Amino acid sequence: MNAAPLAARRPVVTGLGFITPIGNDRAVVSAALREGRHGLAPVEFLGNPALPVKLAGTVKEFDVSSTSCRDWTWPARYDIPRETLRGLAPHGVFALCAVEQALADAGLASTDVANIPDTGLFCASAGSARQLHHNLAQMDAARGERGNPMGVVSSICGTLNFNLGAHFHITGAVCGFVSACASSSHALGYACDEIRLGRLRRVIVVGAEEHNAETILPFAAMRALSAQSDPALASCPFDAARNGFVGAGGAVALIIEAADLAQERGAPILAEVAGWGQSADGYSMAMSHPEGAGLRLAMQRALADACVAPAEIDYVNAHATSTPVGDRAEAQALRAVFTDVGARPRVSSTKGLTGHPLSMAGAMEAAFCTLALAESFIPGNAHLRTPDPVCDGLDLPRETLSVAPSLVLNNSSGFGGSNVCHALRRWAE
Amino acid sequence: MPTPSDIPPPLVRYPAEVRAAYQTFRNSRDEAALRVVIFAAVRDFMPRNSAHSRTDSLRDDERLIEDLGFDSLAVAETVFFFEDLFKVTIKNEDILVLHTVGELCDFVARRLRETSPAA
Repeated sequence: MNAAPLAARRPVVTGLGFITPIGNDRAVVSAALREGRHGLAPVEFLGNPALPVKLAGTVKEFDVSSTSCRDWTWPARYDIPRETLRGLAPHGVFALCAVEQALADAGLASTDVANIPDTGLFCASAGSARQLHHNLAQMDAARGERGNPMGVVSSICGTLNFNLGAHFHITGAVCGFVSACASSSHALGYACDEIRLGRLRRVIVVGAEEHNAETILPFAAMRALSAQSDPALASCPFDAARNGFVGAGGAVALIIEAADLAQERGAPILAEVAGWGQSADGYSMAMSHPEGAGLRLAMQRALADACVAPAEIDYVNAHATSTPVGDRAEAQALRAVFTDVGARPRVSSTKGLTGHPLSMAGAMEAAFCTLALAESFIPGNAHLRTPDPVCDGLDLPRETLSVAPSLVLNNSSGFGGSNVCHALRRWAE
Repeated sequence: MPTPSDIPPPLVRYPAEVRAAYQTFRNSRDEAALRVVIFAAVRDFMPRNSAHSRTDSLRDDERLIEDLGFDSLAVAETVFFFEDLFKVTIKNEDILVLHTVGELCDFVARRLRETSPAA
């Protein structure tokens, strides 16, 4: 229990790890955000060129496309022993590498988090539909008489917490979050609460997803994916011509620590998580509330938790995924929170560059916000040509701005109408 | 030598001599060849932190858990490898009494003798 005063228990970000479509380390990701370099690549799912899904935000340098972990490859700088690999889902490989990277970024060795009762691990992913499908098909073929003993832990939702918790010997708390595309935002929010409550002093937050057919293609059946083959036309949040999202995968990890712990060990503090809010639409299992009512409330709660006014916000990293319905709802929520009270923060969706990595989106974009605060820039809206008139009143910069934000919001929305918003602040003691 | 299409998926990444031993066992039921396959699989599933040297050859009397560092999931994973390779089913109660490399070899050989040669 951390009995330090509340101010000393402020949650801060001390390390970031990126395995993303736009880069596999902090420097490359930062450069991609500044230069507007996207990470979308052609894909052909199930060997069928006729499918109306032509692009995905893909991870480079890794090959985890096989259903056998024996075939997987990853950059040699990461060390994954056989006994860890056996239980991982494909996206677990991304996640383990992102955590190793985030720990190094925070100046921590794996021994600094192993068997430490005040260190926790909060994870989010949708599990591995691919591995689950493969394992169940194998069991079916044997008429239930045999199956892969790692089938459960390597595929079901929770696979990240099972495996990473054991691999890194996390003893404070290990938990998974399941709220679809708001999942890793919930993980970060609750990590901050655990630190503020003094229950934990450090939490590793990780979101990860696969970008294979089994994860992405079912969204085509919902008519939620863009059929465009041109990246500039496929992922264009807030654009009048947007036509669906581009699925993506990867992993992002953040090291969140109580400010007093970070300061005690002289860690570089990249940003403070000043507050967060959540709400629910209570409206549809899949579609956003048409006026973004839930997201509006989540933003207002984040502002209240951080004790800041709308006019103090310099930048909002929007959830906007490039779907007609979702972006429209978020634009209305943003207008209600900001425009209606005369506030005009810069707003952008970085999904124009990354595509939409589902459960991982919230952690990834919180990490982007951290980079924006630590490195003094505001990401632009890649691929935005003609803003939807519903965005009237919002400041949607096309290019990345060399402007140092002090306070930013990070929005996420998931199926079932779960909405989460984080408020992050430039670090000042 | 077997052609690529003859190699069962579980053995694809194993050395040529192991795949050849598998073919020999398939063709002649030569249990010495079967031992080559079993030893290769045990070595493959052995954890990195095993006290056993990577280069020393395995001995029949070495215990999977105490000497080689297997945990019960790794034992189950190894047994599944043989199930998948030879298309047999191995019961839980049979696994629980396997302690050494030699016992595993004898058990798999006995189990395969019980199946038809075509299996």
